[in-house]
Amino acid sequence: MDRGVDWRRNKAGFLAVLAPPLGWLMLFFIVPMAVVWAYSFGTNEGIADIRISGTFANYARAIEPLYLGIMAKSLAFAALATLVCLIVGFPVALAISFAPANLKTWLLIGVMLPFWTNLLIRTYALIALMRDEGIINHALKFAFGWAGFEPLRMMNTNFAVLVGLVYVHLPFMVLPLYAALDRLDRSLLEASLDLGAGHIRTIFTIVIPLAAPGIASGLLLTFIPVLGSYLASDLLGGADSQMIANVIERQFKRANDWPFGAALAFMLMYLTFIGIALQSVTRRRRERE
Amino acid sequence: MREAPGLLDYARRWPLRLVMIAVGLFLYLPLMVLIVMSFNDSRRTTQWKGFTLDWYVAVFRDGELVQALLNSLTIAAFSTMLSVVLGTLAAIALWRFRFGGRTTLEGAFALPIVVPEICLGVALLIFFAKVMPWPVGMPWPLNLGSIVIAHVAFSFPFVAVVVRARLASFDRSQEEAARDLGASQWRALVDVVIPHLRPALFAGALLAFTLSLDDFVITFFTAGPDTVTFPVKVYSMVRFSVTPKVNAISTLLLLFTVILTFVALRLQARAEAERKA
Amino acid sequence: MAELEGAAIWQGLSQSRLSRRGLLSSLGVAAIGFTLQACGQGSGSKGDPAGDKINFYTWDTYIGATTLADFETANGIKVQTSYFATNDELFAKLKAGNPGYDVIVPSNEFVTRMRLAKMLEPLDMAKLPNIKNIAPEFMEADYDSPPPRHSVPYTWLVLGIGYRKSRVNGTPDSWKWLFDSDLYKGRIALTSEAADLIRLGAKFMGKSLNGVDPATAKAVEDMLIRQKPNIKAFHEDNGQDMLLAGDVDLVLETNGDIAQIAVEDPDIAFVVPKEGSLLNADTLCIPKGAPRPDQAHNFINFLLDATVGKHIIETILYPTPNAAAKLLMPESYRANPIIFPTGAGMDASEWGKFEGADKARAFEEAITRVRAA
Repeated sequence: MDRGVDWRRNKAGFLAVLAPPLGWLMLFFIVPMAVVWAYSFGTNEGIADIRISGTFANYARAIEPLYLGIMAKSLAFAALATLVCLIVGFPVALAISFAPANLKTWLLIGVMLPFWTNLLIRTYALIALMRDEGIINHALKFAFGWAGFEPLRMMNTNFAVLVGLVYVHLPFMVLPLYAALDRLDRSLLEASLDLGAGHIRTIFTIVIPLAAPGIASGLLLTFIPVLGSYLASDLLGGADSQMIANVIERQFKRANDWPFGAALAFMLMYLTFIGIALQSVTRRRRERE
Repeated sequence: MREAPGLLDYARRWPLRLVMIAVGLFLYLPLMVLIVMSFNDSRRTTQWKGFTLDWYVAVFRDGELVQALLNSLTIAAFSTMLSVVLGTLAAIALWRFRFGGRTTLEGAFALPIVVPEICLGVALLIFFAKVMPWPVGMPWPLNLGSIVIAHVAFSFPFVAVVVRARLASFDRSQEEAARDLGASQWRALVDVVIPHLRPALFAGALLAFTLSLDDFVITFFTAGPDTVTFPVKVYSMVRFSVTPKVNAISTLLLLFTVILTFVALRLQARAEAERKA
Repeated sequence: MAELEGAAIWQGLSQSRLSRRGLLSSLGVAAIGFTLQACGQGSGSKGDPAGDKINFYTWDTYIGATTLADFETANGIKVQTSYFATNDELFAKLKAGNPGYDVIVPSNEFVTRMRLAKMLEPLDMAKLPNIKNIAPEFMEADYDSPPPRHSVPYTWLVLGIGYRKSRVNGTPDSWKWLFDSDLYKGRIALTSEAADLIRLGAKFMGKSLNGVDPATAKAVEDMLIRQKPNIKAFHEDNGQDMLLAGDVDLVLETNGDIAQIAVEDPDIAFVVPKEGSLLNADTLCIPKGAPRPDQAHNFINFLLDATVGKHIIETILYPTPNAAAKLLMPESYRANPIIFPTGAGMDASEWGKFEGADKARAFEEAITRVRAA
């Protein structure tokens, strides 16, 4: 692995490249986040002011069973959505990586294109499809109505939220998967097939292990946004579909309780960091092997 | 006669073809609904009542909706350009130089990817209100400045990640060769490294553009009183329910994107052909 | 995270070597943006000098089709509108300081809140002669006391049950059908507003919706948890959509929203439950630090005018506190039972009071518990 040139050898060059992004990061990210982090130790004073009082009360409230429960449920649900994205996305990525070169770009753009429509509108389109008197049910009634047909209850369920989340985050999974699969040494696959392993076996024993880093990125790049999205469960969910992101959003908006919202958000981030740390550790251990 | 699919020709085998079709349907059926509903002769977007072009007319008459869309596109354009520059610089700094605290800095650059959007949105709201007030009433496009800054802040790390990965595969010897031949550090960078990075720059730009265009939460919190952006305008229509007018403008946006992509690809193909000639 | 992470998202596309595309499209877009802008599209974010426009922060589609243009014609001042979707967004935006809005449209409880937080300017009644058009009962409501006034009523609404006549037995004139019965299992949508739910639950139990004590709140919470299996969804102010599309048969919504869909579907009706309900008003206010208070007063006065009020109502079909405008409207509007409900329910309805942030937070947490249960 290329260790790079020691920075002292070219101080001017080093500063020239590092200063702009670092400056931007510091000023427009670290500083604002630090302010919110400070707020998580604050209390509401009156209606509109927040006093940084160094209290841990917000964190104490954030780890109450009510909120921990919601967080656990959200993590589980996000994991499920990510898994579905993986299962759906893997064959797609595989197909694209084995497609003829001129088709590849178009297929990739085809996957990204829905992403450029406004999220809210896409969600409304999904609603139009899935509701009790929506398009899917109308089509099914048309085809099977004579057999005494009950409309499929799709909307306002956790299923609908899952569909919405997968729909929005699929590109985040397909792109890294595709990148990893594309790099694969085809001769290894051919060798495996020559030696008599079936396609499925080859995929599981050769392709997946080799593409593992790509799969790991895809999982990470999908899981985190899924965890943080609240629109899908707001619009598509039922009485039962409250996620931690909704709770956080409500603290900043309706409840007007920014210190608590900040504490919840940071709890979420600590958990994510732990996840990432675990992932790097296992990756580093794998690299050493 | 069509030859049988090769051993690894997965794309031509029926299981994967089936998957591709199913996924294609999944991705595009809602979009079809969207486009069809933009011609709906009713205020609602969920039940078909008849065909009309009225909504498209309404779009062009609705100065504010168009303004909102233009604002969003402009923000996305500026954000993409800045993000690509900053992301590339960050990636190069991390790749090329050895320095204490490099790992920490890598982690720091990855932070914006990990933060929940609403947290960052509120953080920037406070920032632009109390710490560094953005002047109000500035001429277009400067009044979009605070939003662009915010978008760049959360986009450029994505670009950095993408470019960094590509740099990892860069063969140092090419650069050394250039230097041996007398090029300065700077020239070597521009003429050897950057061309190698092109695909990464494309991917990063694509990612940054998408992130910016569809962003709602952060845009909402950083927009000033005299700016309307598209996702925010659409979301605020929720109270009175989304009308087919929004479907119409989304269809137009989609059309515009497809045309732009097509044109860009054409230009690229021509440039490639010229280069080969 | 970096090296293998980005897992060469790039590499995926390395085959295509589409180098300049990203930059090209960005520049293309910006170029088109500039051109269209120069062609005079757009509504005035071109750095007009301070006196030539005002910034209006309001709900979407909450004004007449030509009202703003009419104002500009009459006064030469352009109105730059921004939108928010909930009072909380408005509050969150202004909490850190007024970024330049001249006129805002908070609901009554937020008027109380914002007055306490000193976020509003007192209004100069001398500059608002058209205030005489407002019916006295709306001027007397106590969310904006003590004088001087900081707000002017713009519309008012009442919460109630919107329902589909053909699928419901008779008139569901009690909160029971939403809160405590499985007759309409799976066909009910409630609002997700915590304070509304708790207070209306209190009303159902025969108490006032102001001054709800913790015991009552807990009772309502338990009742809602028991009712949860019968509830299809907690809607985010799109309950009327769900009713119109046939997703649900009963919905907790405002009369204005239901009136709008009743126009499209005569099978829709509305009732204020007999136990009483919550009255709301949306008001016009001037936030503290507004750059152009004189013009702001001018604009508010314009909106209070009877003819202007009529045009607004024709578009949005909400109940109006503007008695003069109401007189100009056709009988079909004035007698519309959805827009102007009458009966025991209305008599028992109260104006909601803002009772402090702690109470709001307690209600929020109660509903979080309901939704997590």
